Amino acid sequence: MRNKSLLIIGLLATLAVVATLVLASPADAGKLEEAIAKTPQGIGKGLIDPGAKPGFMGIPGAPKTFWLFYILWGMWVGWIFSSVGAFGGIMAGVGHITVFGLADYGRAFKKTSPELNKLLTDSIRTSNQYLVGLSALISSVTYYRMGRLVLPLGLCLAGGGILGAYLIPVLTAGKIDLSMYIGYFGIVVFAVAFVLFYETTPKGQASKKAAKAAAQAFEAAHIKKTETDKAQMDEWARGVHVRHWGITKIVFTFYGSEFSFNPIWPILGGFVIAAISAFIGVGGGFLYVPFLTSVVGLPMFIVAGTSALAVLVSMITSIFTFMFIKSVPVDFLLIGTELVGIAIGSVLGPMTSKYIPDIWLKRLFVVLAVYVGVGYLTKGFLGYSVMPGM
Amino acid sequence: MEMQPFYQVLDPFLIRFYRLTGYPWADFLIGTLVLASLALIIGEVTISLAFLAVKKRSDRVTEESRRYQNLSLDALKAGDKQAYRAANKLANDAFGKSFFMQIALSAAFLWPIFFALAWMDYRFSGLEFSLPFTGYSLGYIGVFILLYAAAYLIFKRVIYKLPYFRRIKAILDTYCSRAGELKSIADPLPPGQKPGKT
Repeated sequence: MRNKSLLIIGLLATLAVVATLVLASPADAGKLEEAIAKTPQGIGKGLIDPGAKPGFMGIPGAPKTFWLFYILWGMWVGWIFSSVGAFGGIMAGVGHITVFGLADYGRAFKKTSPELNKLLTDSIRTSNQYLVGLSALISSVTYYRMGRLVLPLGLCLAGGGILGAYLIPVLTAGKIDLSMYIGYFGIVVFAVAFVLFYETTPKGQASKKAAKAAAQAFEAAHIKKTETDKAQMDEWARGVHVRHWGITKIVFTFYGSEFSFNPIWPILGGFVIAAISAFIGVGGGFLYVPFLTSVVGLPMFIVAGTSALAVLVSMITSIFTFMFIKSVPVDFLLIGTELVGIAIGSVLGPMTSKYIPDIWLKRLFVVLAVYVGVGYLTKGFLGYSVMPGM
Repeated sequence: MEMQPFYQVLDPFLIRFYRLTGYPWADFLIGTLVLASLALIIGEVTISLAFLAVKKRSDRVTEESRRYQNLSLDALKAGDKQAYRAANKLANDAFGKSFFMQIALSAAFLWPIFFALAWMDYRFSGLEFSLPFTGYSLGYIGVFILLYAAAYLIFKRVIYKLPYFRRIKAILDTYCSRAGELKSIADPLPPGQKPGKT
């Protein structure tokens, strides 16, 4: 217990040192002011009217939504998070892109001020990541404190994750046009819609039923089985035992059963997941767990803590790189107000979800995801949305 | 930039903590430490209220996750890989629910940080503190994060002396003991031997 506390304090101290070093790096301050100054002045689309009321991030004439709507949208996001799951992150992005009108506002600067256009893109994805990623930090620490961590595997994932979470902001900050970003966001929405849809199909339902039946059958048989021979007990007593370390294959036994994986997978998986998370502006935790259980085939006990470490490391890297190496500004008040809404929604979700069957919730979100996905894909890549209101 | 009406009300109260000694550096550190502590205390209160509100449902999801995870480990012990995969999949689903519930719930802890930073942005935007012997400087966000971490470490030592938080701790302790019921890779190991030391 004492060792664990020391480890946590050590981790926090390391985090503080890293934060200090990163935060202390000479940032390119005043980037937003510079972008505003370079934008042609006037009244109309793509122009800055210095006399207009300040809106998003204090930009004169930028969209400004009444604070109650931020809370209401946050409640919607929080409700989805606590009742359906990963789709909440998507909805956080939809709020910034569409509901609060930031994308349409930013797109107007495509020709008149590309710098401001791209700065708004980066701010939107960093804001998304703050909402989802910072919250993931809290839950990651909780799982870590429960001791569910296998360090070497976590390091493989985090190693790839740091690279992805650092490279994406460095390579893409200030370069991604808002239209393109919206198009890519649409692709991710489609991917989530597909997963949700699969879970509602008879095949998806059948696989869950089959898993339940297999688990119950084992449970029934297992209760009857009480004797275990000594040799097997000795084998179990070894816990996680790595039998073979190799560049292409690591073999380990866990409770006497043999598992193997190619170490390149956690590194590659960590890299890809962190890169997608940083590019779109999401936390990434929802991708690590299925990746480790389904692709790498690891036990849940190992997966929970390991994915927590990976989320923690890649999220810190990405947000800090965006904000302090690439000087991307964010609207703290907007994020704070949305978080109030998410907190309220997270309480309402569990209270209301018992009245709506899980499968119908998923069906509802499949329809919503297809609508949003088609809307963003066409808006991003064709220049106009075929779906009204997007 | 013009201050939001909400902050115009709070500003005279908050800025007082930045004028206590007359030494700019010390005042900034004291004021930010007080601000960070306020953000921490408000966050602790709101997350505890949110936690109490969803406790029932949270217990159910955690129990489901615990059950299938233990079952998957039992299947491993028995060498039944098919049952292991099945239980692992169900544990994954239950864990996912619990994971996202926690993510949403943690917003109740984090929101005051952003309100504090937004106020600091009005007051201290562009302010840089030179770090001695490095040639680097630290902005207000950096100072706030470091002092927030310090306030967290101090606060954790005294918070449970307050009756309300003592009650919350008692509930959380029951969770910890229940987490102990989770079968772990360390379960069958001899005393002193930790998993991962292979």
